[in-house]
Amino acid sequence: MPDIKVTPLGAGQDVGRSCILVSIGGKNIMLDCGMHMGYNDDRRFPDFSYITQNGRLTEFLDCVIISHFHLDHCGALPYMSEMVGYDGPIYMTHPTKAICPILLEDFRKITVDKKGETNFFTSQMIKDCMKKVVPLNLHQTVQVDDELEIKAYYAGHVLGAAMVLIKVGSESVVYTGDYNMTPDRHLGAAWIDKCRPDILISESTYATTIRDSKRCRERDFLKKVHETIERGGKVLIPVFALGRAQELCILLETFWERMNLKAPIYFSTGLTEKANHYYKLFITWTNQKIRKTFVQRNMFEFKHIKAFDRSYADNPGPMVVFATPGMLHAGQSLQIFKKWAGNEKNMVIMPGYCVQGTVGHKILNGQKKLEMEGRATLEVKLQVEYMSFSAHADAKGIMQLIRMAEPRNMLLVHGEAKKMEFLKDKIEQEFSISCYMPANGETTTVTTNPSVPVDISLPLLKREMALGGPLPDPKKPRTMHGTLIMKDNSLKLVSPEQALKELGLSEHQLRFTCRVHLQDPHSDADTLARLYSHLKSVLKGYTVQHLPDGTVMVESIVLKVSSSGDDPNLKVILLSWSYQDEELGSFLSSLLKKGLPSAL
Amino acid sequence: MIRWRGEEVVFESMDQCSDEAEDWFMDSLHMYKDLHVFQLEHPTKVIEWTSEKSICVAGYSSPKNEILELLLPLKLYAGGKQGLCPERDFKVEHGGFSEEPVECLRHIFGKRCLVSSGRNSSKLQVWDIGGDDTDIIRRTGVLNLSDSSPKSRKIASGLTEDPSVLHGYQISNVQLTELASGKVIYSIGSDSVDAVSGLQFVNASAFVVCGNNGSLYLGDTRDPKIECFALQETTSRSDWTFGLRSGQPESDSSSCTVARLSSSGQVFVSDLRKMSTPVRRAQINVQHGDASSEFLTVTWAPALDNALAVSGFDGSVLVFDTTSWTTESQTPEPIFVHRGHIMSCEMETDDSPVMVTTHAWHPWRPRTLLSAASDGSMHVWDWVDKNNETL
Repeated sequence: MPDIKVTPLGAGQDVGRSCILVSIGGKNIMLDCGMHMGYNDDRRFPDFSYITQNGRLTEFLDCVIISHFHLDHCGALPYMSEMVGYDGPIYMTHPTKAICPILLEDFRKITVDKKGETNFFTSQMIKDCMKKVVPLNLHQTVQVDDELEIKAYYAGHVLGAAMVLIKVGSESVVYTGDYNMTPDRHLGAAWIDKCRPDILISESTYATTIRDSKRCRERDFLKKVHETIERGGKVLIPVFALGRAQELCILLETFWERMNLKAPIYFSTGLTEKANHYYKLFITWTNQKIRKTFVQRNMFEFKHIKAFDRSYADNPGPMVVFATPGMLHAGQSLQIFKKWAGNEKNMVIMPGYCVQGTVGHKILNGQKKLEMEGRATLEVKLQVEYMSFSAHADAKGIMQLIRMAEPRNMLLVHGEAKKMEFLKDKIEQEFSISCYMPANGETTTVTTNPSVPVDISLPLLKREMALGGPLPDPKKPRTMHGTLIMKDNSLKLVSPEQALKELGLSEHQLRFTCRVHLQDPHSDADTLARLYSHLKSVLKGYTVQHLPDGTVMVESIVLKVSSSGDDPNLKVILLSWSYQDEELGSFLSSLLKKGLPSAL
Repeated sequence: MIRWRGEEVVFESMDQCSDEAEDWFMDSLHMYKDLHVFQLEHPTKVIEWTSEKSICVAGYSSPKNEILELLLPLKLYAGGKQGLCPERDFKVEHGGFSEEPVECLRHIFGKRCLVSSGRNSSKLQVWDIGGDDTDIIRRTGVLNLSDSSPKSRKIASGLTEDPSVLHGYQISNVQLTELASGKVIYSIGSDSVDAVSGLQFVNASAFVVCGNNGSLYLGDTRDPKIECFALQETTSRSDWTFGLRSGQPESDSSSCTVARLSSSGQVFVSDLRKMSTPVRRAQINVQHGDASSEFLTVTWAPALDNALAVSGFDGSVLVFDTTSWTTESQTPEPIFVHRGHIMSCEMETDDSPVMVTTHAWHPWRPRTLLSAASDGSMHVWDWVDKNNETL
């Protein structure tokens, strides 16, 4: 039966490492190649031994697709392509291609330089890996090869995030990566057409949550900033610049305007450059089919936000500073943090996940004393706030996406099956489709029902119609005979004669002959008559004829009786049949070997 | 912001929210300590606490509905470490399917069990919420009531060891049914056909029933006789509901305050042990003369003295301090008004104005409430008392 196989790779049920293998129409595709941030050993990489025990992956994979730049979706990519070995195409959107290497390099630096890891990919490996990347545009069908095509759709979530449609023949799969269905301040919501894939694969991390509104998260952010400023404290916001900083800046700018606040807001210079870079990427990415823009102002120019100079960090009084890097692991944000950490009036707002080993990670775990270079300890007295702004789809969002795409089957990864039975039931009941929830390492096989288009020759069609009977009805399929010719990529149904002609073959007839010896003390003619009666009584429902030319015919099988002059009672029954009647012919010969009943 | 219309990207102005809504949002920074706004797929008219951290909600707007047990955002329970906890979302712990709209839902005291009543149904459904090994709320049984009129029953959980449920739609058919056996273990001995608007146990055997006409009935499961305390004045055709304030479920009726609320905005506060004395009263300013009583809810704060919350007239929840209320009717100003359901711009234009369907207080956080509305919104909010600012 035709089917599609889906296997989420990796050990354990933990979220944090997206890497899914799909086998469709003879093609193997790897979806995302994430790193698990919680582990320090090989468990952080997906388990590629599923693909092959040892050796390179190139011949086993037709392509790799990366949905977006978050490390839990692309963190293991250089490891996979350069250390395990893969030379085929890696597909991702333009912004993802631009941002991935930056994040990977940052991540590499933290892991190797800060934590002293040795079994890790190098800067050169990141560069070599990115050389294999083929960028994707939204809504553009890309032919990976003759049979495999892919198409990217807008996923929201972060800049460049895409959902991907993978198609081979008439079978298809859609992989969502991370997406959100409620519009964001600057990224919008995911969208896909009614592509009716055989399987829709979605992360189920937030499937059993009901998300608090974006506005409330923003409110909390503004409240915390405002309270700190009111008491004369300083707020440090370490950001990676891409998207998050822009959003928060817009928020603060509006708030400052409205509340007529005077405290300065600064944007570190490193950020300004990155912001411009981001801006260009952003406009190109969303410019793909912009109809009209009536943006009230340039989203990247602010009235109240000024460029930062490192000397400002010592200025008295309240201020807000956006600085890189985002996890406080080095550079300007760490420098500022060191200056401000000792004052409980101050605050640091962490807007996202921090990798293990970074200062950000430590303070988010509640650490109050940090060991810095040169054995110096830093006391953390300032207020630490962990705020999550990332946009993810919840249960409602998943239902909305299913409504949009109309898949034939649903597959949820990265969830605990027994904690998602309700969602599974909900999906199955509302949409009448099956919902699968494989564990990591477990393969789900979904049987598909692909339609195979075949051209039928007109004469053959006419011949079938001439046979009479009811008109063809989609609900009542009719069996017909023909010869299927598969040439190049087309399938054609013609009559056997036509096929022989086209292929330049001559038709052969195959006949079997068999002799059965019988003792029968009658004349040849009488034996034949007895034979006829016998067969007529046994083979009810078949056409048995006694012909004037001295033969008996059963369907198309010919039977003749003869005897030799020496022994007139030794009869020889000659049976002859064409191969189409092989079964009946064999049956007759076995039957006759038993002899004729004497009662006749 | 950016919107997708089909395959095209369109930039749209952020001024989708009205100025009023923006103002409210900005004011919310000092009006609330915590504010969480959620959107359920379907609206609920019940919020029932099943544990200190979880509630059950159930749909009423479709033929087939969901019952959900939701774990409150962990951030609310992080105490001093609130800053380090980013968890702002509700977690759907358990879910089940109901074949009918759920009118009334009650958690059975001490058990992982729910009882629900449907609209126009003479049956009560019994559900097992489930433990750690499953996330399905399973229907474990049906109680076929002796009176088979298809009218929605009001229900209340028994407070005894053996799970039981008190139910009825009119005084004469209020009964106590034992869940395990389905047997009726108590029936009110009265012929009164007054419609029931609510009932509740005060302790293991004493209970209160509120009539739709505002009468209060005090009973005890050890005695079929009940005492009726009708309202002194005729109050035309208003519908009444009630809210009971008691220390703990085990307290005796001597420390119970009861508030009665009418669909015309009248509130009467009485002491259950002194029902004959004049009630303390107030008139709430309500826009419409006589609102529908479907969503009328009045509750006492469990952890805040004399705080009374009222909703069901419109899209807001009003909180009053009843300390100063006297027997002379007055029109008190609420100490807080939650307008979140009206102000949260969902950018969907609805024909009918949004109505708060129900609300509930947090069991021990003094000023935390949960409220649900007809548009499916669900809010968790901790308001700031301007008069006693203890932030």
